[in-house]
Parts: sequence; structure tokens; C-alpha cells
Amino acid sequence: MPGWQTFYHELKDKNFEIVSVAQDTGGVKDAGPWIEKANAEYTALIDEQHLVTKLYSMVNVPTAVWINEKGKIVRPNEVAFVDDRFKDYSHMDAGPYLDAIRDWVAKGERSSFVLSEEELKKRLTPVSPDRLMADVEFSLAEYLYHAGHGPEAIPHFKEAQRLAPDNWNYKRQAWLLSDADRDYGTNFTKEVQKLNGKPYYAPRQMPEPANKPN
Amino acid sequence: MKTFFRCVGLIFLCSMANEASSQVRGVVIYDNAATELSTPSPFIQSKDLWVTLEELTRATGFVVKPQGVCRRELCFPLPKQRKADFLVQRGKATWFNLSEFARLVKQPVADDEKLATWCFGPRADGQNGYLETLEAPNFTLPDRNGKLHSLSDFRGKKVLLITWASW
Repeated sequence: MPGWQTFYHELKDKNFEIVSVAQDTGGVKDAGPWIEKANAEYTALIDEQHLVTKLYSMVNVPTAVWINEKGKIVRPNEVAFVDDRFKDYSHMDAGPYLDAIRDWVAKGERSSFVLSEEELKKRLTPVSPDRLMADVEFSLAEYLYHAGHGPEAIPHFKEAQRLAPDNWNYKRQAWLLSDADRDYGTNFTKEVQKLNGKPYYAPRQMPEPANKPN
Repeated sequence: MKTFFRCVGLIFLCSMANEASSQVRGVVIYDNAATELSTPSPFIQSKDLWVTLEELTRATGFVVKPQGVCRRELCFPLPKQRKADFLVQRGKATWFNLSEFARLVKQPVADDEKLATWCFGPRADGQNGYLETLEAPNFTLPDRNGKLHSLSDFRGKKVLLITWASW
């Protein structure tokens, strides 16, 4: 997060805003200290109900979406690291991604990273009935957890995970709320090993950074 | 004989406890907000969630009108032949089958039977609406001081929306 503050500082006077949203059932108690430590001047919000995960069909963090001045999506969900600390998981360099954002901020719709409507519609797919069910099971589980029914929440978290097996947010959040090994028979490390070389983050489909003069 | 009476008493107590637990006050989560129901449902045998018309409006914002079940400009007509599946009169109150309504409008529902908690999600067409317009779905969330911000507040700027988590 301090990395994003530096990046924000560089671009904030160019009609650009960062809206960061913590996907944390624990809310301000869990996410607050991180925001404070980063001295974030950008908009740092806290999403106890994982609304953004659901609305944008996200499956992982960090995930970013580019939104233009008219409120339209110009690049949908993509892994977005500000530095290379987690390169073991992402297998992608952060640098070219940050350069792509700089390019967009400078050139707007003329940036080669802004996707055509046709390409956007190809990348954005309708949610399945199973995914919608996963979302309500997860919401129910979170409600029960907050209402002091932690053990009763677990079967609903499990059901959400079963219905949306690709959603790491639903797995990792639930595991954190209890003892993953005891209650779910697994944990993050074990599940990552099960990927067996398959990428944890979907690879970015992005053109090489263009060195076009502005 | 004494033991017998004690047993019967115990059974009686148990059945009272069962009665009480079957009348656990329900909770409805609708549009991400939870509402505790105050009137226990008389439809004990039903697996569906029945609510009074008053509680329907309190929990969901929907109102039953002659033209259908409506909220603001949105109205879902009830199938004429199946009105009884949705609306039942019991004493002074009219009860509405919210589960049947969810099936009608193709809305996903999860419930916890023991804790009488029901969670209703968005309808698929609502969730997928932005795929046609490409408009970034709006949301309103608090910052760490509790101040609310909406994505739409930033119209006119380029926005990099990033999710992250402490876990």
C-alpha cells in the first residue's frame, strides 16, 4: 500500500483517482491499520460484505479495474501489484503495469491499453446461477459470523466455496475466520500446491508497453 | 408412578421448547441489509419464508399492489392462477411467500434453517446489467472513519479501482 501512495502522488494532479477497497469481513479492525500505515491520501474504503468482489466478479486480490471519466470500464479485472514482492505468485512484473496506467492517464482513450467495446464484451462474462448462489451463501455466512454464530457460518462458507471454486477471496477470507485445517481440512499453502504449476493469478492480456512519444 | 409423571413432564417441557424454537424470530437479509422479523410465522410446516405484508415492506421495500409486487417503478405481476401460492389470509394478517416470490423473479436465496436466517441475492439480470452498458457498477462504502464514498462521486476523473485484503 505505501507503493500505491507513491504512485498516487505522481499522478493525482492529472485528473486521476485511486479507489482502493479492502475485502475484509473484519472491517476497519483488520484493514484500518494497513491504511493508516500507508498514509494513504487516495480513497481507501472498507468493504465488510465483499460487495465489490460480487459486483465485479472478482476472484482474487489485488484486482484492479480501469474506469474512465464517464464511469465506463476500459480495462476489466486484472491482477495489480504495485511492486514485485509477490512475484512468486503473480509471475508478472509490476513495472509494465504501472507504465500502462501512466500511459492511460496521459493519453486517455488514445492509450493502446484502453480496450475496445468488442474486446471488453469478450472479457466480461455473465455470472452463472452457481456463482449467484455462491454469493448469497457467502453473504449469509458472513452475517451469521458477525451475529456470533461462527460455527454455523462454516457450512455456508463451504457451500460458497463449492459453488465458486475459482474464487480465492471466498476461500481465503473464510479460512482466516477460523482454523482452516480443523474446519476446512485445508489451508492456503496446501491449496496453492494443488495448483501444480497452474497460475494463481490469471495472466494479464496486455500489449507490450508502447514507447510511443506523447 | 412418580417417575412416569416426571417423564411426561419432561416430554411436555421438551415439546414446549420445540415450539419455542420453531418460532425463532426470522432474519431477512435483502439488498445486503438485515431485518429482524417481529411476527412469528404461522406456517410452521412450510420450508418457505412467509412474512406479513407490513414486514415485506419493512424488510425489502416491496409493496403488494393490484398490479403486482412493486418497489418504486419496478413491478412484478403475480401469475393470476397462482395468487394463492403467494398470498394467504390468516386472521387479520395477510401473509406473503417471499421464497415463492424469489423463485418467480429468479432471485437466489440461501437460508439457515436452524437460525431462521434468509439471505436474498441480486437477480441475474441486475447483476449482469453492466455487461451491456459497460458502466462500472456503483457502490457506496465507508472509509476507516466511517465516512461514505460512492464510486460515482469520481465521475469526471479516471479511476483505478483496486481491491485488496488484510488476510
